[in-house]
Amino acid sequence: MLSAPSETTAVLPPSPAASSAGSAPLISITPHSAEALHLLDDPQEWSAFSRPSPQGADCWESNVVIEGMHCAACSFTVEDAIAAVPGVVRVQVSAASHRAKVVWSAAAVQPSAWMQAVQQRGYRALPANDVFSSERRRIETRKALWRWLVAGLCMMQVMMYAYPAYTAQPGDLSMEMEQLLRWASWVLSLPVILFSCGPFFSNALRDLRRGSISMDLPVALGIAITFAVSTAGTFEPTGVFGREVYFDSLTMFVCFLLTGRWLELRLRNRTAGSLEALMNRLPESLERRNAEGIFERVAIRRLLVGDLVRVHPGEAFAADGVVEEGETLVDEALLTGESEALPRGPGSLVVAGSHNLSSTVQVRVQALGEQTRFGQIVALMQSASTSKPRAALLADRLAKPFLIAVLLGAATACAWWWQTDPERALMVAVSVLVVTCPCALSLATPAAMLAAAGNLARNGVLVRNLQGLEALSEVDAVVFDKTGTLTRDTLAVTSIEVRQGVAPAEVLQQAAALATHSMHPASKALVGASALEAYRAGPWICDAVTEQAGQGVEGKARPAGVQGESEIALRLGSARYCGVTADPGATARVYLSDSQGWLATFEVREDLRSEAAEVIAALTQARVQVHLLSGDHSGAVQRIATEVGITQARGGCSPADKLEALRELQAQGRKVLMVGDGLNDGPVLAGAHASFAFGNAVPLAQAQSDFVVLGDRLNTVLHSVLLARNTMAVVRQNLWWSLVYNAACVPLAIAGLLPAWLAGLGMASSSLVVVANALRLTRSGALNKGF
Amino acid sequence: MDILYLLIPLSVILVFFVLAGLWWAIDRGQFEDIEREGERILKDS
Repeated sequence: MLSAPSETTAVLPPSPAASSAGSAPLISITPHSAEALHLLDDPQEWSAFSRPSPQGADCWESNVVIEGMHCAACSFTVEDAIAAVPGVVRVQVSAASHRAKVVWSAAAVQPSAWMQAVQQRGYRALPANDVFSSERRRIETRKALWRWLVAGLCMMQVMMYAYPAYTAQPGDLSMEMEQLLRWASWVLSLPVILFSCGPFFSNALRDLRRGSISMDLPVALGIAITFAVSTAGTFEPTGVFGREVYFDSLTMFVCFLLTGRWLELRLRNRTAGSLEALMNRLPESLERRNAEGIFERVAIRRLLVGDLVRVHPGEAFAADGVVEEGETLVDEALLTGESEALPRGPGSLVVAGSHNLSSTVQVRVQALGEQTRFGQIVALMQSASTSKPRAALLADRLAKPFLIAVLLGAATACAWWWQTDPERALMVAVSVLVVTCPCALSLATPAAMLAAAGNLARNGVLVRNLQGLEALSEVDAVVFDKTGTLTRDTLAVTSIEVRQGVAPAEVLQQAAALATHSMHPASKALVGASALEAYRAGPWICDAVTEQAGQGVEGKARPAGVQGESEIALRLGSARYCGVTADPGATARVYLSDSQGWLATFEVREDLRSEAAEVIAALTQARVQVHLLSGDHSGAVQRIATEVGITQARGGCSPADKLEALRELQAQGRKVLMVGDGLNDGPVLAGAHASFAFGNAVPLAQAQSDFVVLGDRLNTVLHSVLLARNTMAVVRQNLWWSLVYNAACVPLAIAGLLPAWLAGLGMASSSLVVVANALRLTRSGALNKGF
Repeated sequence: MDILYLLIPLSVILVFFVLAGLWWAIDRGQFEDIEREGERILKDS
């Protein structure tokens, strides 16, 4: 085993959890082992993705996600594969949602059998643990679609009935005919009011009860008043409300609004769906020693305190515990941000959420679930998210004065007309309310934000909540967590020093031959470097390799394909392990020695993302202060910071320290954007003004952030910040436009100069202007310049 | 033009029939997997 040599070493171990969390659509399909699938044959696991089916006794209906499907034809292949398994009663694969519903008889077949049938066709089946939330979303979507279609269809028909009234010359339309058309319009407006507008009324009522005002209140008020006035105009043309009807404007208004809401819902569902899909995986499992002393694989939820478990390299520790046998290196980066691999031997503690890096150990379980440090971080995160500063939305802040102004305006107009023409007074008040129907105002924000979110989605950023865009546009400080955000997950060899008379390429091949036997990140860097064209040389192989955890690895190396005498004994690892004097300096070094002593020194360091410096320069230029808070050693953090051009950097931060630093920044009045990936970032992500998580982050970090970046391009952060600012600029333009439109129309309506059809036309065109303006945000070209 | 007194109420009823048809289609999930249904015709068996 190779060590991380000097005190200031900053090595970044690979995180197996990260790769499995991001497994959904981005990586190629690697089949599950049969052993892993057999875990699903335990009836205790069934309830997560199945329920008893009414189709027959002992029948279960399971929901699974099929990975690797590209088109509708794939769905037939998968369907045939599952249906061919004896014991499967019925199967239905949806090509659109990549999901399958399988009804199977527990007496005849086990889930692993038909899942393996799917794998044999080259796809992969995973239990759909999100089945209940996706079912709820499906019902919600159907209802929204239904509301929208009702409004749309009724709008079209009401327009037909309204058409004669607009075009007829005086005398063309008999009194009775006009009355008939109005009744027909009224009947068709009823389903729109009673059914399609339901959410507006219930939201407005909820807001009123809480004493707050949102956009739904003016909308609901406008709808209700317009409908009431039109109803009065239909059935009592001589009454105080006059004889004008506005059914066409009303239904069109509702249809526009519902179109916006429907698009918003679809986008939100798609985002939520792809995030929840990350949770679909086989149950986490590990090997536990049973009563007979044999290790067998069980699901983690069946673990008890006091169990002895065996953890292999690359696996995560599922519980806090004490090592009983074996020595290894562990990676606690996800918990502490500390990226150095830590040695753990018999008697030392390991914590849940950390990863075993080098060799198999046996661990006695001491704490599970909420009692672990992992559980405590989760609790810290939840408390941080409840105290999150959430600014009210711009449109909602505007709505209140707007609404008050409109009500005042209507009342004033009414009072003013009352003195001269009492019969007309109420009608004028009503037309003021109708003309200000806040369609453009309530479309202004969602239209722009939806367009921006669509743009971001195409660039690989999922917007978890649309309000995040407004928060993001105000950001004037960004805090990076070094681990995984500014650097890649791997190390890279930066320089090689060799003994006089040997070729660097040759030495690197020898070192790589030894390093292939080690799981240490530095070893992986050496192996990676040996494959580069610049270091092309004949490959070597190593025998009799022994590793010493935290120290190094030794073995006998010979050129591949050569037998016999040319074997040389090599040691790779820390300076002490190789018996050489360490070079002074801050960077991490790995030494190679043979029987004659020092042979080579390899300098390894974190692989900075190539675009990091560029992105940070651009952020600074965009008047955003860049900070770096990391759990790593201060030295390593400082070095990275100077390299990418960050002036404010702090190392050695615990999750609580980071939260503290965040609060300090917020106390200075800064709006902070947090970019993180680790579990230890969870609380900070939850507490920040806006937050980004990278797609390979742990699910918990993703669940707390406003934006999730799929893939690992850092410039998406910059792109998002700039786009969010553009979005808010468009929102402001839209709001201004609708305010100006209203300001121009209200006086006309007060003066009694605005006929109903003109008011309706104005309302429609102002909505169209707003939507067209928002569509500018879907063009991403201008923002991507330079990248 | 007296026929309009019959046709207009009829058109209202027709709209309700169309709405009922739409509800049936939505409830059967016909708008959820649009692509697959188009390709089903190409499948043997």
